[in-house]
Amino acid sequence: MAAGPRLRHAEPVMGTVFSFDVPAAAAPVLPAVLRWLHWVDTTFSTYREDSDVSRFGRGEAGLADCAPELAEVIAQCAVLSELSGGYFTDRPAGRFDPSGFVKGWSIEHAAAMLTAVGHPSVSVNGAGDVQCAGEPEPGRPWRIGIADPLRPGTLAAVVAGRDFAVATSGTAERGAHIINPHTGRPAAGLASVTVTGPRVTSADAYATAAFAMGPAAREWVETLDGYEAFAVAPDGTRWQTSGFAAYAAS
Amino acid sequence: MRRAVLAFGSTVAGLILLLSFRSHTATPASAGVSAAGTSSKSSAGAAGNGSSGGSGGGSMAGSAAPSASPSAAGGATGGTTAGGKVVTGEVVNGPYGPSQVAITLSGGKITKVTVLQHTDDGENSQQIDGNALPKLTAETLTAQSAKIDAVSGASYTSAGYIKSLQSALDKA
Repeated sequence: MAAGPRLRHAEPVMGTVFSFDVPAAAAPVLPAVLRWLHWVDTTFSTYREDSDVSRFGRGEAGLADCAPELAEVIAQCAVLSELSGGYFTDRPAGRFDPSGFVKGWSIEHAAAMLTAVGHPSVSVNGAGDVQCAGEPEPGRPWRIGIADPLRPGTLAAVVAGRDFAVATSGTAERGAHIINPHTGRPAAGLASVTVTGPRVTSADAYATAAFAMGPAAREWVETLDGYEAFAVAPDGTRWQTSGFAAYAAS
Repeated sequence: MRRAVLAFGSTVAGLILLLSFRSHTATPASAGVSAAGTSSKSSAGAAGNGSSGGSGGGSMAGSAAPSASPSAAGGATGGTTAGGKVVTGEVVNGPYGPSQVAITLSGGKITKVTVLQHTDDGENSQQIDGNALPKLTAETLTAQSAKIDAVSGASYTSAGYIKSLQSALDKA
């Protein structure tokens, strides 16, 4: 099958930018995907007083008054919290905030909206977390660079894959530290951690939890079937889980 | 076609690197690498901003040096050494004077960056000799050979996105 022309689009939404790399033929479908992302922003943003998340968080609205997706999000956050020993939480610092889950979830769903209507070659990058499907051009996998958190503008590693996700958590995010839910203090053990695996919803949450865990994350990610991690410590040293080499590209 | 551009100013602050992503095949002549201020649409959205945002060569903010003359890639001259083909870039006139680099290509990859001339502007020149050049060479090798489709990490606000590697990919 010949490679068709590609379309790249950058959409400011959710306080960040979502980058799309899709077949040009997907152009008519893209507006619906973007509208959905803006709907997620309106519904889940903790920066909007009138979002479902904010109203629910203040106790002004029950689950029945909110979008049904909110209940689904809360349920999945509970599973992830259990799986991560509480290092992933939708209540960081005691306040209801499922953003760590919603971001990955919306990236994965945006990509699925495109592949579901027959565009198998898709990459969606939401604020540095990426879901890839298919191949960018026939015969080669997607190549995703991992930003070096200590040397902005450079790459610490490159991974490659076809239907896979790459999610990174680190101190570069939004200028705010990820809080270790168990200590209440900013997580400082790692400069960044990247998780690779099939789905970005999971990879994003795992990366967030791993970053909060610090060096202990290495052992934890080894227990996660199908997901691998690569991390950069504040002194520049790196570690990776035993299966990460399968993703590493030169 | 994505093109790699290296533009060097004569001070550390003027060292700016534009990166090649998915640059085309590995023939040195067509690698699209020119070591001068070739105008290129791969500039990462900060065009016209004279500040480089660089410290020690670590920044890839990607705006061309303000006084660099846009020139066609064909202006580079070259020769062959045992280590590969040497491509000499055009002279770039930076704020403190002229600069010029040469790049050694081997198998389509940059293996060495050589500064042929830079203007001595006092204390900064030592930084260029000692620290920034080896660092810059390493960065060049990392990014130029990477040929990536997207970047993970360095999650950013809309403003931070402009300066990011992902932004350069989206614009190129």
